[in-house]
Amino acid sequence: MYILGISCYYHDASAALLKDGVVVAAAEEERFTRKKHDTSFPLNAITYCLKSQRITMGQVDAVGFYEKPFLKFERLLGQHVQMFPKSLKTFVSAMPSWIHEKLHIRKSIKKLGYEGEVYFIEHHLAHAAASFLVSPFKKAAILTADGVGEWSTTTWGIGNEKEIQLLGEIRFPHSLGLLYSTITAYLGFTVNNAEYKVMGLASYGDMDKKTNSYYEKLKQVVDIKEDGSYTLDLKYFKYHYADRMPSQAMEKLLDGPTRKKETEVAQRHKDIAAALQLILEEAMTAMLKDLSKKTHYQNVVLGGGVALNSVYNGKILRNTPFKRVWIHPNPSDGGSSIGVALYIYHTILGKKREKQHQLSHAYLGPAFSTEEIQQFLDARGIRYSKFKNQQELIASTAKMIFDNKVVGWFQGKMEWGPRALGSRSILANPCNPQAKELLNEKVKHREHFRPFAPVVCADDALKYFDCDKPLPEITDFMLMVYPIKKEWHKKIPSVTHVDGSGRLQTISRKQNHLYYEVIKAFGKLSKIPILINTSFNIRGEPIVCTPADAYTCMMGTGIDCLVMGNFLIKRSDNEQDQWNSEHDAKD
Amino acid sequence: MGIHKKKKGNVALFFVGTQEGIKSFGESIQTLVNTILLTIVYLGGVGTAWLMCKISGRTFFTGKPQQEAKTYWEPLDLKKKPIEEYRRQF
Ligand SMILES: [Fe+2]
Repeated sequence: MYILGISCYYHDASAALLKDGVVVAAAEEERFTRKKHDTSFPLNAITYCLKSQRITMGQVDAVGFYEKPFLKFERLLGQHVQMFPKSLKTFVSAMPSWIHEKLHIRKSIKKLGYEGEVYFIEHHLAHAAASFLVSPFKKAAILTADGVGEWSTTTWGIGNEKEIQLLGEIRFPHSLGLLYSTITAYLGFTVNNAEYKVMGLASYGDMDKKTNSYYEKLKQVVDIKEDGSYTLDLKYFKYHYADRMPSQAMEKLLDGPTRKKETEVAQRHKDIAAALQLILEEAMTAMLKDLSKKTHYQNVVLGGGVALNSVYNGKILRNTPFKRVWIHPNPSDGGSSIGVALYIYHTILGKKREKQHQLSHAYLGPAFSTEEIQQFLDARGIRYSKFKNQQELIASTAKMIFDNKVVGWFQGKMEWGPRALGSRSILANPCNPQAKELLNEKVKHREHFRPFAPVVCADDALKYFDCDKPLPEITDFMLMVYPIKKEWHKKIPSVTHVDGSGRLQTISRKQNHLYYEVIKAFGKLSKIPILINTSFNIRGEPIVCTPADAYTCMMGTGIDCLVMGNFLIKRSDNEQDQWNSEHDAKD
Repeated sequence: MGIHKKKKGNVALFFVGTQEGIKSFGESIQTLVNTILLTIVYLGGVGTAWLMCKISGRTFFTGKPQQEAKTYWEPLDLKKKPIEEYRRQF
């Protein structure tokens, strides 16, 4: 039985395919269209999912959409009515896309040649399902938090076997996600894209509630009750009627106008980011403590974009009574295509949850065979060499990284979700003190304050990182930030953030044999089996998908070589294709 | 031969350019008409609804913290429903 899940039209459009309840393919549309956070109907992602199983739409048994479009439209109209006449401009700009496409999702699906049923579930139910139904838990408390779905912005509930029940909600416009986005906009970063930069910036600010004056100021904006539920004072916001998020009252409160992009990030901005992170953590901890009290469950799953806050995720088990936590590798709207498909399979159709339904890795995207890669290289006249065998590939890659080369790593199926997890990664030496600057300036073109992430084999993690014990499964998805043990700070400077933490990815041999072996081989050379793992893209572009994307990215950046399948491609051997990616780097 | 080709190229370019110009003009007109129509709908439809809400005291959301409230959680009971409910977009 095949079930196709679709999410689109807000941010991160995606498609996912289940075969007998097992996720067999999933990808975001942006990887194919090369338009970051592409929201459009995910035609390319659907085509990939079907092709991966060699089926047509006619063979799909059910299709699901990740929200109820008419309920969302009703909320939008309610907003415009309440905010009349201030909402005229956003009404005029938003309505055409609703009239022409967003209200016709069933028609768009039928156009693909599909005759069967289309199911629609509530937005936060899709978030809850995406995390709970592929988690290792039979029973768990559920917390979802994002910008907004239909009306809900935060929900809590319980998952029990194949059933999910959401029992409480906080409704739009009160939203932790939108609060975070508003401050992201205030700090001069792009909304729905750069929230993670604010999270990284927070570590440079004053994380002490008593001394950071912006903490008290931001507390005027949000009222948090003892149970973690919260409301916003709308005088500080404009997003419910304008295309701008912070109001003048917010600018006055935070001692200055919205920061202009690419201008200097002052200490004040860092302190505001820190205050915001403190408030988010305060609300989340209170909500989770209350959830534990209400449900008496030991396990918790999180969903929605707020669950990408890996700095907070790493503190959940230390700050709340929960014993285990699980989060989908793609917990924001992109991941909801899997959520709705699973909900149809297990909850609507009543199919039992089995061990094989758990999501133990995120390698769900397109892969390219040796022949396909070689065909591409030959057709483009690219100079390359071929590794004799896997041992040579592993040893050479480890040696190049040890020699401080920046290596593009393109292997197997593309990752699902926003993180590169060893299929489309850039790898570098974390012991090299210059690696961070080199990667930031020559490859990624990103802000100096943003840290790089370490990848470590799961069996070595506890030696270098102060992780929860036992190690939560979701460190495999780079969803947890943990302190790096003090004695290693100076030895791996390029992955040690200013506060001594690292957003680590753990990897097991079973998950990704080649990647695992390269880390171990590097460890033999350096005595530290840790690598820098950063996504294979330049700033403002989606992670690479095809051999052509990977080659173009390498030739436009400071990446020294590309290990693609069994092939080694050196930038210095192909100088005629070089270009300057710095020119094109966006937010 | 080369000159001839170049001339043909220029003619083709002229037609392509004209076509694109007409297309972009059409799109601009469409945007303008849409804007006018939607402004009328907004002032007439949304404005009337706003007036009715004002008279009846209906609001879609509140924007002020309530110090006396114990919680901001609102009850929700979202659980498995009959299958027909999932066929609906609302
Ligand atoms: Fe969402």
